[in-house]
Amino acid sequence: MANEIQCVVVTPENTTVDQSVESVVVPLVDGEAGIYANHASMIGRLGCGEVRLNFGGKTERLFVDGGFVQVDDNVLSVITGRALQAAQIDVGQVESALKDAEASSPESKEEKLARARTIMQSKAMLKVAAKK
Amino acid sequence: MANARALDNRRKSVRNIKKITRTMELIATARFKQAMDRATAATGYTDRITQVVNDLATSGLEVSHPLLEKRDQTKTATLLVLTSNRGLCGGYNGNILRAALDRKTQLEGEAETLDLQVSGKRGIAGLKFRGIEAAKTFTQFEDKPAFDDVCEVANHFLDAFISGSIDRLDVAYTRFISVSKQEAVIETLLPLDSIGTGESDTSNTQAPAKKESVYEFVPSPSSILEEVVPTSFRVKLFKCFLDSAVSEQIARMVAMKSATENASEMIKQLSMEYNRARQSQITGEIMEIIGGVEALEG
Repeated sequence: MANEIQCVVVTPENTTVDQSVESVVVPLVDGEAGIYANHASMIGRLGCGEVRLNFGGKTERLFVDGGFVQVDDNVLSVITGRALQAAQIDVGQVESALKDAEASSPESKEEKLARARTIMQSKAMLKVAAKK
Repeated sequence: MANARALDNRRKSVRNIKKITRTMELIATARFKQAMDRATAATGYTDRITQVVNDLATSGLEVSHPLLEKRDQTKTATLLVLTSNRGLCGGYNGNILRAALDRKTQLEGEAETLDLQVSGKRGIAGLKFRGIEAAKTFTQFEDKPAFDDVCEVANHFLDAFISGSIDRLDVAYTRFISVSKQEAVIETLLPLDSIGTGESDTSNTQAPAKKESVYEFVPSPSSILEEVVPTSFRVKLFKCFLDSAVSEQIARMVAMKSATENASEMIKQLSMEYNRARQSQITGEIMEIIGGVEALEG
């Protein structure tokens, strides 16, 4: 279809989404970007956040954890380490992980980075889960 | 001639063993299919990463990254050996250990210190038997390695490599070539020799179509490169784990198949011996009776 774009979300474990959509919003490292059909070819780096697929008057929301987005020839590929449907997020578990991370006071640089990463991921996940 | 009853008992126990090996074969077949599906699912990801890498390369960007730089001196080398948690899979673990030990002696000559890490109970036990202690062991990887778990291990290696505490990482695993062929190989994953996923055939087929790259890079090609290199390493390591899992199931399937066949053969052999023994026992009894009758008549 002329004004639709094929959207594919892949993780190393499976292909989460593969369908034709009207528009997609992806979280780039420096802010969200909306992509419609016939978008120019591009490769972007993703941050942690929400991918929104708009099709048939509905919006499907996914949480992705970093990775890349590639647009070429009306195919949009989201290549990410982890993709979760908004409804799949276990809020309780994420909240406890966030609490644990915030309560910890790491010493080494490595651990500090891991702590910051966990906090950022958890917050982004909760944000996606909170929206209904 | 052996006792007919003893032969019959042996035949029964062989029959039981056959049932077990046959079931194990079926289980391995089912698991192999699952593992294979996972490996195929992962290729969707690796192909796309390869494509991004190719696009980056065609955009004329200077490809340089700390993970790609070869160190002049290898002070600390790490050897990661991927074995299975369970046995009864033929020469699977033996082959990897043999390959790994060869590389170990070689690395010990080159590097000042060697850090040996083993995944899988069989490998840990096998090395202990040879009197080698592993510095770090993993047993959490079963036949379905999760990307998150592998990622954790991968990030650990990445941090160690960048901070300079290791200079080289070799991984010994069983590469899956086809259903009938797997081999124990050792690959050097750090420093990365190329940022492709190591499958030259997929990159070759995709390269011609992508000659004219007109990509817009957001935010910048170098920023994407910065992310794509570690990702590429993680995926490579994940692929090693997946290949190992698939190969393990195939090895078990083959081993159990031959065990089942062997048991069938043995049952046949034992049946023949049993029949013979039974026959001679009956003949003996008849002879005794005839002898008794003759004695009475005489």
